[in-house]
Amino acid sequence: MRVLTHSPVSMRLEKVLSKVILAVDDSASVRQMVKFTLSDAGYTVIEAVDGKDALTKLTGPVNMVITDLNMPNLDGIGLIRGVRANPACKGIPIVMLTTESQESRKQEGRQAGATGWIVKPFTTQQLLAVVKRLIG
Amino acid sequence: MIDHRQAFLDEARELLVELESALLELDQSRNDPEIVARAFRALHTIKGSGAMFGFEDISGFAHHLESAFDQLRKGQLTVTADLINLSLGAADQIKKMLDAATGQGAADTSRSEAILTELRFLRGAPDAERPPSPAPTETAPALGRGPVRDWRIRFRPAPGALLNGTNPLRLLGELRELGELRVHVDTAAIPSLSEMDPERCYLAWDLVLATGAEPAAIRDVFIFVENDCELSIQPADPAAPVRPAPRAAASEVRRPAAGASTSSIRVSADKLDQLVNLVGELVTVQARLGAVAARREDPEVRAVSEEIDRLTSSLRENSMSIRMLPLRATFERFRRLVHDLGAELHKHVELTVEGADTELDKTVIDQLNDPLVHLIRNSMDHGIETPEARLAAGKPATATVHLAAQHSGANVLIRVSDDGRGLDVEAVRARAIEQGLIQAGAQLSEAEIVSLILAPGFSTAREVTDVSGRGVGMDVVRRNVEALRGSLEVASKPGAGVTVTLRLPLTLAIIDGLLVRVGEDYFVLPLANSLECVELTGQDIDAAHGNHLANVRGQLVPYIRLREYFRMEGERPEREQVMVVETDQGRYGFAVDQVLGDHQTVIKNLGRLYRNVHVVSGATILGDGTVALILDPQRVVSEAMQIQGKGAAQRHEAGLPAKDARNQITAERQPI
Repeated sequence: MRVLTHSPVSMRLEKVLSKVILAVDDSASVRQMVKFTLSDAGYTVIEAVDGKDALTKLTGPVNMVITDLNMPNLDGIGLIRGVRANPACKGIPIVMLTTESQESRKQEGRQAGATGWIVKPFTTQQLLAVVKRLIG
Repeated sequence: MIDHRQAFLDEARELLVELESALLELDQSRNDPEIVARAFRALHTIKGSGAMFGFEDISGFAHHLESAFDQLRKGQLTVTADLINLSLGAADQIKKMLDAATGQGAADTSRSEAILTELRFLRGAPDAERPPSPAPTETAPALGRGPVRDWRIRFRPAPGALLNGTNPLRLLGELRELGELRVHVDTAAIPSLSEMDPERCYLAWDLVLATGAEPAAIRDVFIFVENDCELSIQPADPAAPVRPAPRAAASEVRRPAAGASTSSIRVSADKLDQLVNLVGELVTVQARLGAVAARREDPEVRAVSEEIDRLTSSLRENSMSIRMLPLRATFERFRRLVHDLGAELHKHVELTVEGADTELDKTVIDQLNDPLVHLIRNSMDHGIETPEARLAAGKPATATVHLAAQHSGANVLIRVSDDGRGLDVEAVRARAIEQGLIQAGAQLSEAEIVSLILAPGFSTAREVTDVSGRGVGMDVVRRNVEALRGSLEVASKPGAGVTVTLRLPLTLAIIDGLLVRVGEDYFVLPLANSLECVELTGQDIDAAHGNHLANVRGQLVPYIRLREYFRMEGERPEREQVMVVETDQGRYGFAVDQVLGDHQTVIKNLGRLYRNVHVVSGATILGDGTVALILDPQRVVSEAMQIQGKGAAQRHEAGLPAKDARNQITAERQPI
């Protein structure tokens, strides 16, 4: 039985079963950095360019959402509300990307149901630490 | 990082185009909030991403512009031609800074200063806002540094914490990484079932953390929740920062013990056995009552049945605990044995004891004496060398026999180890061939050869000589241990000694079990090993591509389908359930048709016919009179791994005792 867990089929399974993170930011470079860092750590990353786009990508299983706050069409706060209103996404961790000058927005995000936040600029290590803290 | 920087540069150029067009449109329709928002977002992203990828100058410059547009958004500032022109100039300046970053020309910093001064003038107020500070340096918690001290942490998450994606379990796990954590759960706030909202968090935790980490590191664990939870972190004893020696606690314990003579009475063991037997009967009858109550859908009968169930359960625990005795007395008795034997054999041997406070059922302890005497005798007689031989081998002249006991789930492990010469693998092998236990050409690993000394019939006929190692009556020991529903393992290191491990059940009478159903048959798994129960749908099976792997919250757990393992007939249902159990080999699942619930299990012996069926540790009688087999998860897993590990043919060739329990069980399951 043990041997099975190392077979190529299982390796593929690991991939299928790896945790899915939805990264939402209108900045392509931030998305790229998030995707690069988290994929490297074994997570599957789905990208969305704004809140509206993100809501359409919540149909499959998603284990965590990382979202910027300032975005066109639907901003981060709106997205957080949208995710929390979706019964399929109950209780999944949502992390918002904030800047230091956005203390009031941070409060707003928390009230909307955000789990945590990462202050921009952040390093890849900080990002990984937060993701690990929330979904392991 | 390099390609991220390039990605940012490309993106920033696009954003500047966007900013420019927004500014030009804004010049046409000065009060359109949508356009202001577009410009703001472009600047915001340049600022945010710029800082992320190390362009602090661009980020700092964009910050001031962003602030201006934030004021515009909030209506604190009005759009003027001057502002638009200045912003366009600023956009050009950012473009120059981007070019400078790629090595094309240099940006004129004085130009930046001039733009910012003018901007400050236009905004009409001295710029009090700080530009964003550079990325904070990683402040790793000072792990293990500083003296270890106890912290008392009281933590009650907000009721809605679970909905916000907070997982208190992870927080506790993170604390555990900082140091030793003692956890006490406060369940007082849990309302009755009818009023309980399963999505609310009703629990609170009182924690004691012994760590050398800074208080800030502890607080940092709670950073996401500290604003809306009840949290206090205090040094456990402010007067004595270093962990006090546990002397205070010990003396407290000792005090009542001094006057304890009046509070204990001597009772004959027979009476206790009788009590446990009666409790066993009561548990069986209770199971019947429960079955009757479930059938008659009468709430009154059911309430009485549940009440009695609770009472029998605590009565059982109580009476079992009366029979539990520490192993100390048994262990201490062997000191004399070791001393006497040492003198007789002219060997210097010291007995060391560990875990003597481990408690076991009295009946188990009583029957443990003989096997242990046998094992110690073996060690001293054959395993341990003479002082001269030891010195020659570079070992201390005084040998050690180590007795250790420890809990492991519903079992107690007792180890007897020595630091003697170890088993002579070749001699054992030769002897096994001679006795017809294995064939001459059999390919066996060392561990397999070593375990041959436990095989029935191995060297019972005559005493082995010193050269052939030992093995005097090991199968007698094995039979004794198996009569206690225990098992035996031998490990040997040439030159370094032998360790024999006895795995014994805590009790012989009644255990907490989990009743499961496969087809028409019932099985009991010991609750002590069970971790959790998950569902297995056809979809999950498809997702695993035919492997027996269950996804337990993202972790892969291999499982054994009992229906297949026991070759039972019938179709498996669409939805199966998998019991996840902890074994020595890690976490394993058992797929069954249905998990029925916990069950107080009175263990009945299966009788001599089934002695070779290792995977079943006994049977129990259910409320309706049917018999359920009690499985030993440990053995099921190790036998399944054996079957998996090598083909049955190979085993046959090796001539090992047939251990294919599956056949035996299917054949013998019926007549019980």
